[in-house]
Amino acid sequence: MRKSILAMAMGAMVLTTGMVHAQEKTFNIWWFEDADSAEGIAWSHALDELRANHPDVTVNFEQKTFAQLQASGSMILNSSQAPDLLEYNKGNATAGLVSSQGLLLPLDDAFTAQGWDKILNEGDVVLSKYDEMGIYGSGHIWGISVYGEYVSAFYNVDMFDKAGLTVPTTMDELVADFEAFKVQGIIPLALGGADTSGQHVLASLAYTKADDAWIQNYQGLRAPLDTAPFLYAAQTMVDWVANGYVSKDSTGMNDDDAALQFMSGKAPIYISGTWNLGKFNSNIKDFKWGQFLVPTPKYSVGSTGNLWVVPKGSKNVELAEEFISLTLSPKYQTEMANAGGVAIAADPATITNPVGKNAASVFKEISDKNGLGFYPDWPVPGFYDVLIQKVAGLLQGTSTPDEFVAQLKQVYDDAQENQ
Amino acid sequence: MANVTLSQGSNSFADDAYQPPRRSPLRWVVLFILTLLLLLTLFPFFLAVINAIKTAADYAVGGPLSLPSSIDFGSLQKFWNVSDFSRKLVNSAIISITVAVFGVLISLFNAYAIGIGRIKGSRIFLVIFLLGIMVPQESIVYPLYYMAKATGLYDTQLAVIIIFAVIQSAFGTYLLSSVLRSFPKEIIEAAEMDGANRWQVLWQVVVPVLRPSLMVVGTFFFIWTWNEFLIPLVMLVSNNNQTVAVAMGLTRGQNMSDPTFSAAASMLGIAPTLLFFLVFQRTLTRGVVVGAVK
Repeated sequence: MRKSILAMAMGAMVLTTGMVHAQEKTFNIWWFEDADSAEGIAWSHALDELRANHPDVTVNFEQKTFAQLQASGSMILNSSQAPDLLEYNKGNATAGLVSSQGLLLPLDDAFTAQGWDKILNEGDVVLSKYDEMGIYGSGHIWGISVYGEYVSAFYNVDMFDKAGLTVPTTMDELVADFEAFKVQGIIPLALGGADTSGQHVLASLAYTKADDAWIQNYQGLRAPLDTAPFLYAAQTMVDWVANGYVSKDSTGMNDDDAALQFMSGKAPIYISGTWNLGKFNSNIKDFKWGQFLVPTPKYSVGSTGNLWVVPKGSKNVELAEEFISLTLSPKYQTEMANAGGVAIAADPATITNPVGKNAASVFKEISDKNGLGFYPDWPVPGFYDVLIQKVAGLLQGTSTPDEFVAQLKQVYDDAQENQ
Repeated sequence: MANVTLSQGSNSFADDAYQPPRRSPLRWVVLFILTLLLLLTLFPFFLAVINAIKTAADYAVGGPLSLPSSIDFGSLQKFWNVSDFSRKLVNSAIISITVAVFGVLISLFNAYAIGIGRIKGSRIFLVIFLLGIMVPQESIVYPLYYMAKATGLYDTQLAVIIIFAVIQSAFGTYLLSSVLRSFPKEIIEAAEMDGANRWQVLWQVVVPVLRPSLMVVGTFFFIWTWNEFLIPLVMLVSNNNQTVAVAMGLTRGQNMSDPTFSAAASMLGIAPTLLFFLVFQRTLTRGVVVGAVK
């Protein structure tokens, strides 16, 4: 009996602690980028500046997790617990969905009033706009991205130098470099065949055969799948495995292990996204490394980063806009780039970190030519898992390239027909 | 985990009770197999420990299986600070203990009515409770969310406590009522003859006999609630209300994971349940054995 009284007291305590809320003006802001990431570092300093500018406001920052917002983002936004400003995953299924449910405030007025239109070009705001169905590309501006991301080949400069090889600028040169490493008994490419980087390699290869019409149709789910680029990509990947450019084990490997092969100096090349930059920057001590783009005519796998969005119940819209402006300002863009991030609006001349400098200029190059091809899993809900599974099957040899593209086409065309 | 420990518990009991007449070579085979199983069970803990005390650079060179070249508490410290771990420990403890107590109480009342009271349609009630165990949590998350919002309990620990006290008691009711069904009627009849009412029978006759089983059920409720992820993740929005299991999500980003950081988080995350289990191990084995002998 004593126990239950104790428990009741505890329950009551829980209730009251949950209800205590500050009465003064509070600015609630959330993001889920890691505190050590380039974005995390720059944003927390920007937040310090916001605090200094408004001593009368209590700034309440919470470090969220990607998993939490992915699992319950729309539930949180649909409640009074939503903050005044938060980072939200870009794309139709996430930011698009909550904007179409009316859970966000449009930022069209702020876009011009705050001068963001002068900082961001057309390509940088494609994923900021969602129509009433939640499809990106047109409609109101619901969020602002202040950084970029793209898939590129990370390479071990020391190993390239030792082998007397240069950075490839065409697919043929890339394959020639592969061959040169293989002759020396080195497996050139680390590949997470059972993980995200597998499908990013597939898409990078497919985009070498993609034109504007193909990308727009593909990402916009506008026509049944034209499989030619994927067939080329699948055939190329199968050839790479057959020629020994990729380890046989990599069919079942995840990205952490593949990245590890690169970081430990075993594999000279690893194709993955710029989210690896921070990790490589701080953990690779034994050799010099760099990045080159998979040679494509126009489109690269990549996109602008996650969005700042303002929930409909935000009580501090001005502060939210001021903070977005801060994170877009040259000062914090440069700081982000110096921490190894992909700045979207920094002046490359002011960036001292070679990693961030290169990333910012490459991203600018892609974005200026409107060459962000986005990710291959975006058009169809659940396509991410389909691609993971089918790419693994392709690399293991359980399906031929022809069967592989037929399987993709079936899933894609189903979704296209029933949209 | 539960199954392994249960069977180990009854094994040791059996060893105490019977002195085998002679040592057959078979014993060595059994010992060998058990050692192998033990190593297999301990392996994940071993991995968590060696990677938690590695630096990220060390991991980058040697991978997950290599022994650390130096002992570094950086990851552990970082996780403790980033997640505000002491706060999360208190939250998890409050939620789990309260759920364990209330869950056991509800189970006891239900089981008393079903097992000893023999209420009408008790079988149907049991089936309904069983359904409660079998329903996947994903399917009830949205209704729970709307109910919590309607009652103003969204983002409070009380919501999680109520939900789990009910969910856990479904299993508790099932287990305890099958124990109570075989409760010797004579004892109850004797107590009633002495003038005890139902309330007194419950607290002065049934509970003392049932105590070991109640402890076991409570211990399981505690551990299960401690390890729950989805519903706390959805219900507890503010960092200050979150539990240890939810905090462990910090180690996995959108595209990246940090293996040494994850190892540190899992080590810190399992340590409290492990401690709790070691402390209550005797209660657990005793409770299970009591059930078995009867």
